[in-house]
Amino acid sequence: MLVQSQQAGRQAQSMDGQAAPLFAGYRPHATAWDELFAEAGRPHSHTRLIVERLGRLLPAEFQLRRASADLAFVNQGVTFSVYSDRRGVEKIFPFDLVPRPIAAAEWQAVEAGLLQRIHALNLFLHDVYHERRILREGVVPEELVVKSKCYRPEMMGFDPPGGQYIHVVGTDLVRDEKGQFLVLEDNGRCPSGVSYVLENRVVMKKVFPELFQHCRVRRVEDYPHRLRDALCSVAPIGAGDPPCVVVLSPGPYNSAYFEHSFLARHMGIELVLGQDLFVHDDKVFLKTTRGPQKVDVIYRRVDDDFLDPKAFRSDSLLGVPGLFGAYRAGNVTLANAVGTGVADDKAIYPFVENMIRFYLSEEPLLHNVPTYICARPNDRAYVLQHLHELVVKAANESGGYGMLMGPFASAKERSDFKEKITHDPRNYIAQPLVTLSACPTWTEEGPAPRHVDLRPYIVSGRSTWVLPGGLTRTALVKGSLVVNSSQGGGSKDTWVMEAKN
Amino acid sequence: MISRVAEHCFWLSRYLERAENTARVLEVNRTVLLDLEAPIDQQWRPLLIISGVHDMPGEPDGERVQHYLTWEAANLSSVVSSLSAARENARIIREVVSADMWERLNYYHLWLQGPTAHGLYENNRSEFYNQIKRINQLVHGIAEGTMSHGEAWEFFRLGKYLERACQTARILDVKYHILLPTTQQVGTPVDQAHWVAILASCSGYEPYHKQRAAPPEPSVSVADFLIYDPLFPRSVRYCLRECCAAARAISGRPGDPVEQAVQDLSDWLDAKGVEELIQEGLHESLTHVVDSVHGVGDAVDRTYFDVGPQTPPAPAPAGAAPPKEAAAPCQCAAAG
Repeated sequence: MLVQSQQAGRQAQSMDGQAAPLFAGYRPHATAWDELFAEAGRPHSHTRLIVERLGRLLPAEFQLRRASADLAFVNQGVTFSVYSDRRGVEKIFPFDLVPRPIAAAEWQAVEAGLLQRIHALNLFLHDVYHERRILREGVVPEELVVKSKCYRPEMMGFDPPGGQYIHVVGTDLVRDEKGQFLVLEDNGRCPSGVSYVLENRVVMKKVFPELFQHCRVRRVEDYPHRLRDALCSVAPIGAGDPPCVVVLSPGPYNSAYFEHSFLARHMGIELVLGQDLFVHDDKVFLKTTRGPQKVDVIYRRVDDDFLDPKAFRSDSLLGVPGLFGAYRAGNVTLANAVGTGVADDKAIYPFVENMIRFYLSEEPLLHNVPTYICARPNDRAYVLQHLHELVVKAANESGGYGMLMGPFASAKERSDFKEKITHDPRNYIAQPLVTLSACPTWTEEGPAPRHVDLRPYIVSGRSTWVLPGGLTRTALVKGSLVVNSSQGGGSKDTWVMEAKN
Repeated sequence: MISRVAEHCFWLSRYLERAENTARVLEVNRTVLLDLEAPIDQQWRPLLIISGVHDMPGEPDGERVQHYLTWEAANLSSVVSSLSAARENARIIREVVSADMWERLNYYHLWLQGPTAHGLYENNRSEFYNQIKRINQLVHGIAEGTMSHGEAWEFFRLGKYLERACQTARILDVKYHILLPTTQQVGTPVDQAHWVAILASCSGYEPYHKQRAAPPEPSVSVADFLIYDPLFPRSVRYCLRECCAAARAISGRPGDPVEQAVQDLSDWLDAKGVEELIQEGLHESLTHVVDSVHGVGDAVDRTYFDVGPQTPPAPAPAGAAPPKEAAAPCQCAAAG
């Protein structure tokens, strides 16, 4: 009934020309691929229904829905904290109500590419920590691997339970100007953000129930259940039935604490801090009101360095003394495995396509953004000469830190980076600037194109599953190509459309 | 359940209850003072005393004390501090509290920080304190109807009734601190009005009158009601009985240290009776109640929270069944 009365009101308004519907004045970005429109006023075939339905709203009506979405996030405390802020300050992750659709067939191709890539990365990790065939044959330079900050010699010869290293990966994809998906980076340590995918969907369903009725969108709600099944499937020998699975968080002041708690809640398992666990006789126990309880699988959101003060950083207060010993003894599963960072190191990234060819004898289905490796003298020389047109990234940083956007940087920033690269070439890679695709996004001047990326989540236990869609992050500032939440980016709901029968 | 999580549950509940009771005490004092010409110094200082505040800056006039006990973040027992501590405990254990509960708690946390709450405080103080009382009532109501009544719930219940037992004793103690100008005024209409206000602040006015039509000695009768009534949910006795039940449910066996500590206080009260309490000095008796409740809190802490390095299960001899505790499946996993 509510929708009907709004339609009536809108028609009256539109007739006298007082207010134009939502996308009436939208002009796509001059060069970037647009996620909704093939050209001004003409949607892609898979977005036609969305544009038509959403486009019926007047800006004022859209604003109302926006306010109710924001309120839902605030009341539910869906927040994150930013490192540079004072401890404990909570912010909402800005959310844009215009969805980012992906066509069914296109998603199938992306999914196949992701499965292939994750498979190869897992084989790579096993190889690095066992025979090192790929290093001996010179496909990946040995030096890059063993000098990686994330390389863990302690893992040599160890078989993680179930043979799985990277249980959860968030692979950052971007679309170039032709609309082709490219892999920007792999996040194989503790990728975050999936809780926003699920919360965004909850809010979108509340705010636009009618859109979901008309546009068939693939569900994302199965994620926690899939993750739990995957974690259970790789429980160590001797685990309980069902295995005791916990989420290990660094604590309530961590920027992703909301997500840790969210996942524990939705998987129906305990959220624990390091102080809640202890190791005895190479087994891990939980301190409970009824005495110790054995833990079988730990979905840990604590970095390798902080996991176990006995094995890694001795000053870590977040970890559990003896945890790594229990892991090596095969009594507990850690997800992700220790030492996976060597596979998502930005200096190793350029070799992933060759890993796929090496291990699977297949051609990569998803391509990398062309990358210059500063450790190579020729590449380095090129990079140093072309800083003004390249994006330079520090190998072991994430979240948009330690990055130079050459074309937008000042001469001072460029010369600083020149020095850094010369001083420590191993730590830097460079890529040509990709004009990320753009999606209509609400701004103070109405819908305008803003650049987006996509982080799909891939969950692996004994088998691998890809969450349909993933987190679409969006820059909120005009022209900005940096979408990270820590840099003021926002997010959108990603809609993988169902295939038509 | 995880000891740390149990602790958050317990304190979430205590802080919520504390916020409600601080609002009740502030409201009762305002009401009492409407009928009483008390020296300035005696009007509001008692509230600081019973709230355990000894270092409020400035003179304890009405506005300052109310502001300090309501809004002051530096005062750990102010309404705002209690509610934000409750909300922080809930945030840390969002996987334990129900989504509905969290949503409301968060809503009121934000409400208190916004202009609406401050406006209400300025313009309609009684309604403001009513609203504060309702937060706890609402959140507990939601918890009752949406949270599984398992171990976490029992810690929640234990925290609620333990805090309430203590707060009812404190509210009753207000009467001690607001001295009547002369002993001749005992039993006068002013004195009567005080007792009515005390009852009302505990929502006990109507239940009390249904039971005790025009008692001769309201001072004895009201104290008796608020300490000993077996059915009124804010009486000390009722609260202690709930604590006992929660402690029993948590330990699963009779006579654990927490239940024992509660029982000791109960026995002490039963052995005395209201006349003896008054004879020995109501203030002293109530102080004993408050101290004993703190003792129970310490027992909870020792028994369940501050477990320190736990004794790991004895290593099983080869071929033997693993120790019982280690073999028990994780509650969480079993529940799913």
